Amino acid sequence: MKLYLYGIIDSSEQVKESIYGLEGSGVYNIPYCDIGAVVSEINQPIQKVTKGAVLEHEAVIEKLMENFTVLPVRFQTVIEDRDNLLLMMQSYYNDFKDNLDRLHNKLEFGIKVIWAAEKIRENIIKALKKGKQKKLEPDSLQGRKFMTEKFEKYKIDKEFRAKADKFIRVIDIFFSKFAAEKKLGKLKTENLLLDAVYLLEKSQEINFREAFEHIKSARPDFKYLFSGPWPAYNFIVLSKKSGILTDSQQTDLLDKVTQNRMLVGADSI
Amino acid sequence: MIANTTVETESPEEFIEEIEKTQNCLPKKIDANPKTVEKGLAKLVLTLIELIKKLLEKQAMRRVEAGSLSDEQIENVGETLMKLEKKMDELKEIFGLKDEELNLNLGPLGDLM
Repeated sequence: MKLYLYGIIDSSEQVKESIYGLEGSGVYNIPYCDIGAVVSEINQPIQKVTKGAVLEHEAVIEKLMENFTVLPVRFQTVIEDRDNLLLMMQSYYNDFKDNLDRLHNKLEFGIKVIWAAEKIRENIIKALKKGKQKKLEPDSLQGRKFMTEKFEKYKIDKEFRAKADKFIRVIDIFFSKFAAEKKLGKLKTENLLLDAVYLLEKSQEINFREAFEHIKSARPDFKYLFSGPWPAYNFIVLSKKSGILTDSQQTDLLDKVTQNRMLVGADSI
Repeated sequence: MIANTTVETESPEEFIEEIEKTQNCLPKKIDANPKTVEKGLAKLVLTLIELIKKLLEKQAMRRVEAGSLSDEQIENVGETLMKLEKKMDELKEIFGLKDEELNLNLGPLGDLM
């Protein structure tokens, strides 16, 4: 029987509530030191990504979020057996601990903004035509003609990106004062001005939602998408620090594990 | 989704369209099965050439903007870039590749271009 992994939590205690995961199997925690890996048993690897399976996976993670800090694991993560899972936990223990501490009591929210890119470009072209911008005069030489066309396009693109930067700075002012961390994705497509994720203390959720309403009023010409709260998918940083444990750290960890069989789930399910 | 997770927007179709655009053009893996290995490799090589071409173009534009290229240099650079673009167009046509396919997803670093 293989183990389907949902996430890592900041507790070695058993999950008290009955949670059912993929294939309707019961979800349980395999403890490792003071943290745990939440799994359910699965007969075979998931062959197809279905909407139902993805939602089942997500539902387990979000249920866990009600009581624990969770490091969500990618959909379709299957571990061969308990020994392999424990080896993985040992290998990443320090990373998991650092992330669980940093993300404790925090939630992720997403903000996406669409702007009218075509109209913005048109306005830039008009403004450049009016203004006294540096121009390359075309002549009959092919290379120069090519450069003239490219230079016109370059000026428009440069101005377009400068405008995007300006708008993003303004939008970010509304949100960043409530955020512990953020990641801003600029112009992933011509229209998608901003694709941002913010990490917040739970207590800041109301302020953050209010900020969203404010920006909508301040810039009604843009289109907005707000989502959350999510597990901190975008703020987990794995550097596999445990791979470079000092000798004394390894000894400490080994002591913890060998002194208490419960800590590695040897006596659990 | 749990009870209090929400997705709020007044323009769901537009957001779906834009998100799909960001995902469709960038395969996570290089397509290298026996039938398509040639195209997969061509895509990889042409993506790198496209990156170099764009860097050259950008540098040339910056120098034009700064006024540090003579007329002769502008003509030479222009002709070179034009020929490079023409050759790239020919190769893209041979391997059935579109402009938006010439990119690589570098995971947490984002897209190459």
